[in-house]
Amino acid sequence: MSGRRERVRSAIRAARGGLRAVARIARWEVSRSVGVVDRRTAALGLLALLLAGAVGGAATAAGGVALDRDVYRVGVDTDSPYHEVVVETPALAARPPEVDRLGRGVEVVVADDHVYVADSRKAQAALSTFRDAVRRHNLDRLREERNESAAFPVVVTLRYAERTPDGVVAGGESGDGTGTGTGTGTEDTSGSAGDSDGTESAPSGADGSTSGSGSGADTATGAAGVDAATGSAADGPLGVPGFGGAGGLFGGSTSGSPADISPPFPFGALVLAFLFFVPMNFVIQPYGSTILNERINRRGELLLVAPVSPAAIVAGKTLPYLATLVGVTALVALAIGGSPVSVAAVAPIAALYLAATFVGGMFARSFKELTFVTVSISVFLTSYAFVPAIFTNVTPIALISPLTLVVHDLQGTGVTAAQYAFSTGPFYVGSAVLFALGVGVYREEDMFTQRSVPLKFLDALNSRLKGRKSVAVLSALAIPFVFIAELLAVAVLFVLPVEVSIPLLLVAVAAVEEVAKSVHVYAGFRGPFADRRGWKAALVLGALSGLGFFLGEKLTAVVQLVGLPDLALGRAAFSSAGIAATPAVGLLLLLAPLALHATTTSIASLGATRDRATYLAALVPAIAVHAAYNFAVVSTLG
Amino acid sequence: MIEVEGLRKTYGDFPAVVGSTFDVDRGEIFGIVGPNGAGKTTTLKMIAGLVDPSAGSATVAGFDASDPEMRRSLGFLPEESPLYEDMTARSYLDFFADLYDVPGEVATERIERTLDRLELDHRDRRLGDVSKGMKRKVAIARSLVNDPDVLIYDEPASGLDPLTTNYVLEFVRELRDAGKTVLFSAHNLYHVESVCDRVAIMNRGDVVARGTVPEIRETYGTTDYRVFTSVPVEGAESAGDRHVVTVEEMAAVEAVRQRAADAGGEVVDIRTREPSLEDIFLDLAADAEPDPRGGA
Repeated sequence: MSGRRERVRSAIRAARGGLRAVARIARWEVSRSVGVVDRRTAALGLLALLLAGAVGGAATAAGGVALDRDVYRVGVDTDSPYHEVVVETPALAARPPEVDRLGRGVEVVVADDHVYVADSRKAQAALSTFRDAVRRHNLDRLREERNESAAFPVVVTLRYAERTPDGVVAGGESGDGTGTGTGTGTEDTSGSAGDSDGTESAPSGADGSTSGSGSGADTATGAAGVDAATGSAADGPLGVPGFGGAGGLFGGSTSGSPADISPPFPFGALVLAFLFFVPMNFVIQPYGSTILNERINRRGELLLVAPVSPAAIVAGKTLPYLATLVGVTALVALAIGGSPVSVAAVAPIAALYLAATFVGGMFARSFKELTFVTVSISVFLTSYAFVPAIFTNVTPIALISPLTLVVHDLQGTGVTAAQYAFSTGPFYVGSAVLFALGVGVYREEDMFTQRSVPLKFLDALNSRLKGRKSVAVLSALAIPFVFIAELLAVAVLFVLPVEVSIPLLLVAVAAVEEVAKSVHVYAGFRGPFADRRGWKAALVLGALSGLGFFLGEKLTAVVQLVGLPDLALGRAAFSSAGIAATPAVGLLLLLAPLALHATTTSIASLGATRDRATYLAALVPAIAVHAAYNFAVVSTLG
Repeated sequence: MIEVEGLRKTYGDFPAVVGSTFDVDRGEIFGIVGPNGAGKTTTLKMIAGLVDPSAGSATVAGFDASDPEMRRSLGFLPEESPLYEDMTARSYLDFFADLYDVPGEVATERIERTLDRLELDHRDRRLGDVSKGMKRKVAIARSLVNDPDVLIYDEPASGLDPLTTNYVLEFVRELRDAGKTVLFSAHNLYHVESVCDRVAIMNRGDVVARGTVPEIRETYGTTDYRVFTSVPVEGAESAGDRHVVTVEEMAAVEAVRQRAADAGGEVVDIRTREPSLEDIFLDLAADAEPDPRGGA
């Protein structure tokens, strides 16, 4: 009993000591980072940023930068009401209204209550621009009317219905499209939601009747009841605009003509990606440098010989950057009206940014290589976070990105625990695994070698291979990356026709999974299992890897919680995991994936016992078998 | 204080160290010499817990080399002086003292004392701006911030000018006199011979000889006898008005004496020349024979 107590005390002492070491290294990292940039340089940088901001702000205030300024010339009398339109439109330049100069100095002439157009393509474009300008001008005038109901007698609340599985528009929200007359009677907007054939994503959703009550002001600004993932014209400040342009984006006027109604575009996600990710890109640069600096000229050797663990060193060096990113994220969230939910949604992205950069810093041999790695990380993670968010009208797809959680938060529609787990789970687990891999090679024997990035990656895998069981563990730990790759594949292929996207996806999924299951076996045969390169060892390790992957794959059951398997593409991506639309089929498929994974990984492992070329060659039949299985499962499921 | 038993390290198929065995007593300076690639640095790093041995064991101050607690008793100086060049000497040493849980006042006093002893000026100048000798002194000071019982110095005088080298070697002697145990490696055999109490010679990852310098000389070296004769004899070289024959055994001396007598002359002088450590090292490195006393 006392021995146990002593062990507990010892563990507590060790934990306290570890935390103290982390805090010391973090303080030191902060003081060093501050010391690296001298104050004058920092001040100049800040000044340059402010200057750039001021120039940008001034340009915006002046009406923005118009690359097509005065490209079309319109002949119009200064007394004409159209003169004002031409003058206020950057692309148009006012000229005297001389019809005989058509085609020779002017493209369009407004005279005698007629519009004359030269016979050229440019003139047609000029006319189009002129018409748009006139329409905008008229709408602006209408918006200035004090009696809004007189200017806009019909008010329509737009609701973009959530697209249900396989692209069918949900019909259960028929009442959402109710137009609200404002005293001028009723108007049937004849919505189409609910009668979709499954191929069209009808944006109107205004299938209900209109009523003659309510006020225009209410409906024009009300966001209540609007689906958060799909957005509407009246969404919050960063909601998806119903009317084209940034005016809607930032809560500008929502009055206009039907011509102004545009399909939803994820401006919100775009802006959020910009706001949250730009600071991350700034922070990962010094973080990657500080990690690589420890490896240049063996600088970090002395920390390794100090009484602190590699994990404490890494934690201490990472903590200031993580804190900075969370702080900046909190500031951005505060600025855009987000709650702690937004911070909690973006923080795991920041963690993965840092984790991937850490691994990059541990693998890169030079700052040039590190730059390549960090840019790749930035592009990949930005794509992963942004691309799914494009599909704002397909919630399960959009939820792949944590940015969608931010949109939900901003629109006040709430985020469920399942949604949070689905969106951020891969980021959390992925970060942990990457840090674990990086810490595994944070030791003298690996830190200071000049091996190539792929070999360093194999070293990192080998650092975590401690016996056969660890092969299964590593396979299971590969799941978040497989998950991320497959979700990204789903998001990228979503735009293609189902006949094309599903076969492509099935092959992509097979390839991703086969590599994830076997690459550490290949590494092991060049590391701890180098003296066991027989076919028996290959089969044993292949089977263990398949088992580990099978068990880890069950974790992807979280996708059930957000309904991704309800999508055809989602079913295709995850059906091999035994996740099916019905429990019965799921049970039936429970053990089949185990046999599949064990078999295909054994095939690849047999190749891994030899050289790289043989391993890559063995991957081909493994992928083929896996893809065939996927096709069979998908065909069975319909 | 340091016990090394069958220490072995292989990188893939390459054996960097094939089985070092030796021990270092408290208050002793123990030197490891050997050519480049002999396995000296790898051996030191395994003892310091930086590199995991493939086989064998090393204990330092009673702790296994893999035990993090061992590091509190150890001061390690790598061959290079990889300092954080944006820090000052003082802040650099403060940081490491903090890492070793040295109380602030104790650390300040100890750091100042060490820097004074090492005559290290420019304590508040960035380390990137000081000379190589100064950097080496800072690195040595860093190895002492935790007042360790054991010091492992890898080529402590590497790349230093003769003046600073002598300074460093003298400082190592002082450390020994202060009760520290010092294990260090060197290329320069003179440094080892002049400083070390005992020596191990490594070649191709193996300890091929060990002991005090006289012991090694006696065991592995051969004493030359220079026999001076009044008349020319077979094999003799002219040495002024005399002639000299160099032989390696007393029996050969007697043979020279007989030849001189046969030629009507005599042996007028016999001198011995002890082999230097370098002579022995070169012989052993050429032969690469394992230690006959089981050192390998």
